[in-house]
Amino acid sequence: MKGRLLLLMAFVLGLCSCQKGETEYDDSPQANLDALWTIIDQQYCFLDYKEKELGISWADIHAKYSARLNPKMTRTQLFEVLCQMLGELKDGHVNISSSVDLGRNWSWREDYPLNLDEELRDAYLQTDYNLSSGLKYRILPDNIAYVVYESFQSAIGEGNLDDMFHSLRMCNGMILDIRGNGGGNLDYVEKFASHFTNDKVLVGYRSHKTGTGHNDFSPLEAEYITPSKGVRWQKPCVVLTNHSCYSAANTFVRDMKEMPQVTIMGDYTGGGSGLPFSSEIPIGWSVRFSASPSYDARKEQIEFGIAPDIPCALDAEKAAQGIDSMIERAREFISEK
Amino acid sequence: MIKRILLSLNLCLFATVAVAQDYTSLVNGKEKKDMSASVSRPLQVFTLFGAGFSNQLDTYLSPMEYTGYQLSFLTGRERRTHWADGSVSFQSMLQGAYSHTQNPARTATAWGGRLAYDAGWHYHWQLSDRLSLKAGGLVGADLGFLYIARNSNNPAQGRFSIDLSASAGGSYKFKINKLPMLISYQADMPLMGGMFSPQFGQSYYDISQGSRDHNVCFSHPGNALCFRQLLTLDLEFNRASLRLGYMGDIRQSHVNGIRMHDINHSFMIGYVRYLKILKRDER
Repeated sequence: MKGRLLLLMAFVLGLCSCQKGETEYDDSPQANLDALWTIIDQQYCFLDYKEKELGISWADIHAKYSARLNPKMTRTQLFEVLCQMLGELKDGHVNISSSVDLGRNWSWREDYPLNLDEELRDAYLQTDYNLSSGLKYRILPDNIAYVVYESFQSAIGEGNLDDMFHSLRMCNGMILDIRGNGGGNLDYVEKFASHFTNDKVLVGYRSHKTGTGHNDFSPLEAEYITPSKGVRWQKPCVVLTNHSCYSAANTFVRDMKEMPQVTIMGDYTGGGSGLPFSSEIPIGWSVRFSASPSYDARKEQIEFGIAPDIPCALDAEKAAQGIDSMIERAREFISEK
Repeated sequence: MIKRILLSLNLCLFATVAVAQDYTSLVNGKEKKDMSASVSRPLQVFTLFGAGFSNQLDTYLSPMEYTGYQLSFLTGRERRTHWADGSVSFQSMLQGAYSHTQNPARTATAWGGRLAYDAGWHYHWQLSDRLSLKAGGLVGADLGFLYIARNSNNPAQGRFSIDLSASAGGSYKFKINKLPMLISYQADMPLMGGMFSPQFGQSYYDISQGSRDHNVCFSHPGNALCFRQLLTLDLEFNRASLRLGYMGDIRQSHVNGIRMHDINHSFMIGYVRYLKILKRDER
């Protein structure tokens, strides 16, 4: 009887000794580097792709940056080392965030010409443009609609879009300028793109990690855009892009590339095709990383950007004369249609 | 689907109340041995409020354990049935909890909420005038969430499970300074069920877009070892009892590569009332 009681007590105690967190609080540099390295190693979705494209080895990176640690280093110094380590991935969705700084690698836009002059753009919009939930638009003198959408964080509803498309319905075409759009909400991407097709369109594929292995992914799932029930644009549309089009804006360009009547013009987009997740390391700093990859309709990676259908760049000389050569090229293109 | 289940849950809970109010009248008082058959099965109704320690882990949100406090309530009812000469009782319980926890570095906060409903039967063995043991089973549903505001596309984890639990306990009556007291213990442990979980790296955005990847999992003690125990002391006064107690509630799972635990230890205080239920013709 005693034995049974002891067994029962051991069972109850066993229940109480639950699974522990993967890491405990520890502000030592090595523990935090290890924790960060492990998060990326197990959860980052582009590791093999980046190793191949960038010629890096995540295993070697652990040794490389561990050598830069010492137990007496300050938190600021540790933060710097961890930022540099994450910077090897060249991913704008990979950040480490402390109370004093955001560790980032923005080479996706900083290493390329901006191809955008906001003062010039404002000159095209003038002052009496329509402004509706982040959508700025007006009709240019040659009867071409000019629409600027600077961030997918600006909420847009069906009502905003219907009203905009309705008010621009008499135009010969549309220039949709998303240069500098750094992304935001994917729901707005789908909503916006759905006004440019009359049929259900395959726009890409997505996947997610199913385990800690570098190649543990779910089968690709097709992504479609279904036509909006509201006003749909039937005329030529040029989407102006630059390297600052990132994340949700990159997805928008991917989707729009599959739409009839739509032409992508400008520079490569910045990329950022991984849906970011968050985690944290023992010292309390938040970590963001790409967790779920998405691909284009041909199942190709778009993490490093999407090529335009018609490449063009901002001409500095013309810009000095108050002319945005990219907008002008788009106007010409639509006029020729 | 979740809405339907919630609706059914609510209907079950309130059906019990409705039946009692529609066909019976509730009268306060203590159980007496000479009562008629219809009133010898008092309805025990209890409500407890608790505060205590909470420990949360959900590797979908963070690899760190979050610790803090939890506020909770537990309300329920228990009544002997006609089955097996009154040796079988029916019990239903509704448990709610709110937790506020922080990571070890105290740089992030998680808010959690939970609502659980259990109902089932126990068989009672009256071993002596004072000591009684019981064992039985419960069917339960559990709905909850954990939210970490600073996370990006994985800010929250939703939890939903249904399970079949083994339940056992006992009670012992005694007096101190002529004050009747009752010490009771009940432990519940889910044996099998089903639970929702996203896949390891699957976002809720993906799920909302129709992605499905083993999101409903069969749960058992091997992958979801859970345990709830309630130890209470009733101090019996005229019309009701003051109930003091401890509730230990451990929910754990390890499915789809995601490890979760929700461990709570709470001090509970509340009251118990014994209601006699009279049929219409006995009023």
